[in-house]
Amino acid sequence: MANKSLVDVFVDGARKGWNIGINSIIPNVLLAFAIIQVLKVTGLLDLLGKLFTPVMMLFGLPGEAIMVLISAWMSMGGGVGVAASLYTAGKLTNQHLSLLLPAIILMGAQIQYMGRCLGTAGVQSRFYPILFGISILNAMIAMQIMRLFA
Amino acid sequence: MSNDNNQEVNQPLKVPKWGYIALLFALVFFSGFFHGVKGWQAALDFNTVNGTFGTMKDAAKATFTGMGGAGARDGFLFAFGLIPACMLALGVVEVVDHLGGLKAAQKLLTPLLRPLIGIPGIAGLALITSLQSTDAGAGMTRALRENNSISEKEKTIFAAFQFSAGGTITNYLSTGAALFSFITVPIILPLIVIFVMKIFGANVMRFYLSRVMKEEADSNGKQIAG
Repeated sequence: MANKSLVDVFVDGARKGWNIGINSIIPNVLLAFAIIQVLKVTGLLDLLGKLFTPVMMLFGLPGEAIMVLISAWMSMGGGVGVAASLYTAGKLTNQHLSLLLPAIILMGAQIQYMGRCLGTAGVQSRFYPILFGISILNAMIAMQIMRLFA
Repeated sequence: MSNDNNQEVNQPLKVPKWGYIALLFALVFFSGFFHGVKGWQAALDFNTVNGTFGTMKDAAKATFTGMGGAGARDGFLFAFGLIPACMLALGVVEVVDHLGGLKAAQKLLTPLLRPLIGIPGIAGLALITSLQSTDAGAGMTRALRENNSISEKEKTIFAAFQFSAGGTITNYLSTGAALFSFITVPIILPLIVIFVMKIFGANVMRFYLSRVMKEEADSNGKQIAG
């Protein structure tokens, strides 16, 4: 560790970033763009948007933003990808992305983390529902807090 | 793995002096404090160092992804443009970690654990680790419980902290970095909100367990530790 130069250390970190980029970000974002494209051409995106407008209005977001939260719950990369895709499609603004970013992380990848976090730490399974609930509550409150700043 | 953790968590933490400087640098660099500032201070801002792509000659507003794309191809080029932020962020974090910056963070956080989320300071290393890796943090938490450094109740509260926004720093600076250039607030702000909510969530669990444990103890003397 001591004989490594800072240049080597930085490059190691950047390589980790590259690996995350090609192994996680690109596949997740590509999938998200493809799904949004399917939803767009089938008209389902507009339908979902209309359906969830009343709920998402409480958070200052358009109805389509529900897709960001649902996909984030399954994987953070997916949530970011859907957010980016809806942004390039003109459905979300920069302000909307600011609101969604902390929520994507706070309720992100819970399906995976059920095993990787709760399972590994040996948490009693009777607490799983409240743990999911807390994370989603965290995300909801975070969106409201972000509205004060964004 | 668990034996190593048991030894590590029981040793007093030594932070090299560079650790605090590196941590301070990281806080400034990622805070967006110097964003938009002219002069040498601009070098202390993540988004400035991350820079911009050149634009297309024909359409001044379009980047190399062009304009009006859609579907998987548009997603691929878009995602490709997200990778530099991720590489730059993790490169800097690696250097900060190498200089002891995360050790400094651990030392500063340790006395705060009990008042903030009701878990003992000995969980400091596991907490810092959980911010970098969900899996490693959870593994160390299990080790802490197995050698009785934390109670079952403390472990469950700690899990509530880790489960929401798992691997916080790594995920925010890699996956989340993809949105950094689009948001309207300094990039440190959503991270602060995330930490506040993680602490809030742990305290919801703390409150819930205090009630459940009391009820269980009242009704049949059973404890959550079992």
